[in-house]
Amino acid sequence: MELSRPSTVDEAVAALGNGAVALAGGTELVPLLRDGLVRADRVVHLADAVPRGIDGTRIGAGTTLAELEVDPQIPSALREACRLAASPQLRSMGTIGGNLLQATRCWYWRLEFPCRLHGGDRCHAAEGVHREHAFFASDFCASAHPSDPAAALVALGGMLRTDRRELPVAELYRLPTEDDRSTTTLAPGELILELDVPAPEASVYLKAMDRRRWSFPIVGVAVARAADGVRIALAGAAPIPWAIASEADLDGATPLPGTAYKLDVARALVRRALAEV
Amino acid sequence: MARLIKTEKEVEGRYEETWVVVEEDVLDQWPAGPLTVVGQAVERKDGLERARGEAPYTADLKLPGMLHAAVLRSPHARANVKRLDLEPARRSLGVRAVVGPGDVHVLTDEPRYPGQPVAAVAADTFRQAREAVKLIEVEWEELEPLLDPDEAVARGELVEEPRRFERGDLERGLAKADVVVEAEYRTQTLLHNCMETHQSICRWHGDRKLDVFISTQFIWGVRERLADQLGLDPDDVRVVCEFMGGGFGSKNGPGDYTYIGAELAKRTGRPVKCALTRREESLATGNRNATIQRLVAGAKADGTLTALGGEYVNAVGWSGFSPMTGGPMQYLYACDNVRVVEHGARLNAPPNAAFRAPGFVEGTFGLECLLDELAARLDLDPLELRRRNHLDADPEGRSYSSKNLMECYRLAEEHWARRDTVRARSEGSWQRGVGLASQVWFGGGGPPSYAWVRVGADGRAVVVTAMQDIGTGTRTAMAQIAAEELGLPLDRVEVALGDSARGPYASISAGSSTLPSMGPAVRSAAADAARQILELAAQRFDKEQRVLSLKDEHVVASDGGSWPLGSVCELLGDGQVLGKGARGPNPTGMRVLTFGVQVAEVAVDVETGEVRVERVAAIHDVGRIVNPLGARSQVEGGIVQAIGHTLSEERLLDPETGTVLTQTLDAYRMPTIADVPEIVAEFVDVPDQHLTNLGSKGLGEPPIIPTAAAIANAIRDATGADVRSLPVTREELLRALREARERVGAVPA
Repeated sequence: MELSRPSTVDEAVAALGNGAVALAGGTELVPLLRDGLVRADRVVHLADAVPRGIDGTRIGAGTTLAELEVDPQIPSALREACRLAASPQLRSMGTIGGNLLQATRCWYWRLEFPCRLHGGDRCHAAEGVHREHAFFASDFCASAHPSDPAAALVALGGMLRTDRRELPVAELYRLPTEDDRSTTTLAPGELILELDVPAPEASVYLKAMDRRRWSFPIVGVAVARAADGVRIALAGAAPIPWAIASEADLDGATPLPGTAYKLDVARALVRRALAEV
Repeated sequence: MARLIKTEKEVEGRYEETWVVVEEDVLDQWPAGPLTVVGQAVERKDGLERARGEAPYTADLKLPGMLHAAVLRSPHARANVKRLDLEPARRSLGVRAVVGPGDVHVLTDEPRYPGQPVAAVAADTFRQAREAVKLIEVEWEELEPLLDPDEAVARGELVEEPRRFERGDLERGLAKADVVVEAEYRTQTLLHNCMETHQSICRWHGDRKLDVFISTQFIWGVRERLADQLGLDPDDVRVVCEFMGGGFGSKNGPGDYTYIGAELAKRTGRPVKCALTRREESLATGNRNATIQRLVAGAKADGTLTALGGEYVNAVGWSGFSPMTGGPMQYLYACDNVRVVEHGARLNAPPNAAFRAPGFVEGTFGLECLLDELAARLDLDPLELRRRNHLDADPEGRSYSSKNLMECYRLAEEHWARRDTVRARSEGSWQRGVGLASQVWFGGGGPPSYAWVRVGADGRAVVVTAMQDIGTGTRTAMAQIAAEELGLPLDRVEVALGDSARGPYASISAGSSTLPSMGPAVRSAAADAARQILELAAQRFDKEQRVLSLKDEHVVASDGGSWPLGSVCELLGDGQVLGKGARGPNPTGMRVLTFGVQVAEVAVDVETGEVRVERVAAIHDVGRIVNPLGARSQVEGGIVQAIGHTLSEERLLDPETGTVLTQTLDAYRMPTIADVPEIVAEFVDVPDQHLTNLGSKGLGEPPIIPTAAAIANAIRDATGADVRSLPVTREELLRALREARERVGAVPA
């Protein structure tokens, strides 16, 4: 395996493609490479190419979760989502850009069952053990999106800048379909460079976990109140971060037998989060 | 003098009667209470070494020329190998040997559980070995796995005959009851997750002598089983384990990895390390089996138990043993009519292994939750209900060597009395409550076990015995015992352990037996050394030996006179005083058990199903406490592990294929430091006057036994919800809360 370390965005973009993968903090990519879920001949280390740091509402994609969780410029929903993610060691390595591109923790996908997300023709989770899985948009693939910060950024109306376009964080994601199994809209070799997170009037992130710390969300609820209204987004609820317009939207959930309890948890957390903002 | 006796040997709750050669135990017990060194809280002798990473664990060892093994394990729960081609692996870079079915008895072409070993490779590096394993070509014939334990029992697929225990007449007892409660409890499959994965290094000298460096709980058991399997003389198998990174019952034998390593080492003429990965650890190193417990209890209106019945299904796996899940029902309460049936279901799932009080952890959850459901029905205080049914004498007519469970209950009162204040702190969706549960378990240890004590001219003592310290701090406890007997400060005593070639036979470290088995042997060896030192002192100082004793590094005469120990020991020159000691017999006809009670305080968010354990008070009766700090650490470890077992840990299988879904630590969730509550540890600390020269029982297992039930009972106290299934996930708790609400709704107040 070959490792390159470009010093500019152009070099990084040029180095990507042809089986190369981008490495930032490595907390996600390294285990995926180790487990054979991602195969690559070349790894492009982005540390010198992608911006890192916080400047008002702008956040370099290379900024670590540990840096975000303590910065007073960062809206509290995002700060809290970072603080409640992973462990201190992982947060001091993991970057916000990489965090948004995390793969699901679905055990069937991680164990390489030939599921829909791997290009197969069935969702093993829907028929098997799925208590950590989706309760929205679960009919094609029941995986749950694991990122806390992604839900916070969707609720906050964050924007992304890549090497080729600008887009709302919500539009980074797409539900997998028969024709296209990917869960993001990122083109091959496209690099997330920067985020812009407008300051809300108030925001909050609440998270239910199986233990007090270091656990992916059973349900994460981000709520942000801005001049144009209140936005709600859920983590651990659907194959991608899931935006809902109001508490009542939870009535439209489509839980699996084993994820019905998540809906109860989500109701309680949404109600509490709305009360806090 | 050596004596041949018939004694009951108990390991992990299984009794067998055997002939044992034992030495008489002639020493009187020390007086109760803290002594000069024994009974004092001391830090581990090897704490710094461990914390600094200097302590050599098996995982740290690198022998010259050492190769690394990797194992091809079945990805299927039940399959036959139709075609196997090892050649691509043989040709792979760095590979020195490849073995398959037929080469080692643990390798099979008919795997019956996921993770069962099929083939293995030895290569220059671990990575090369793993890469070569991936090149092995296998054509599988997949067969439908049997995964449902009830179905296995119905089909007669069992690992052993069902075990029945009966006293009195259950039906008659139920007929006499004013109140009968019936419930089904379930516990989940749990993984040991030792920090040091299962591993060993095998090194041959010629083809008849084998060295094995292994992370093990039983040096001598590994020696015996390897010698037996490989047709070697036991004395030609040397087994070494100086530091050990966790076992919890899963490292009592050689394991498939050692048999594989021994064969690969033989074929290559090189030392071979076979170390399992974390994923293999989740498959093939044993587990605490899941259980289904269908229980019934009947009682008079005053709480007197008239009947206890339990039909238990242990989901054992492909092999292993059917634990005494009904043990607590047999041993804990006075009840004339008891019936227990235990089935051990054989499934196409990884075999179980002993896991810190196997059976009793699971059975205590069911029984002690049932008792609280009964208390609620009778409107009786749960502590009072347990007192009313206290078992004063063993129902089989044997007396207890010691039993201070009532004293445990008395000490628990202070913690139990907090429940009004705790409940009053409930606020909004957070409801608080307190629950308790009792504990019974074995833990008396037994013979044989031996120790030597060596004292040289420098006046220092070395305890020599081929035992293992599995991380519980027994190395320190042994030094304390020898120091007490020799009148030495702790830092003048070292313990040389962990090598079958360099010390006498020592007990297994399982079944809470290390301290009660080894401690008396060490004390008697130290006493033998002390006697010899006093013999020399009597001649040197012209005193009668009977007036002399050792105290504070001095020889002290009761009729006047005191000489530094050094003034005797320096006479030795290059000579040494060698004391030897043995573990005496257990008291004949007595039942040796440990007891305790734990009181848990929880907060429950009734809207989100979150449970927080806020405080656990543990009171245990395990005889004399040798090191109060070490004992507290055992209790804390047991309770933290139990909290994981109660709230977050579960090994999950795919119901279709039998694949283990939770192979990594992000999916199999053990508690972190953030989940640890306030833990209060108290001990009755009264020596068992019938048990050895030490009066100590074991403490490894007792603290993990009652915690789950105490937490579940606290949840009921806080919310009225009957949780009957472990782990208490949010799904289970929200279900139980809904059920409790419907029950209340159905009966208008």
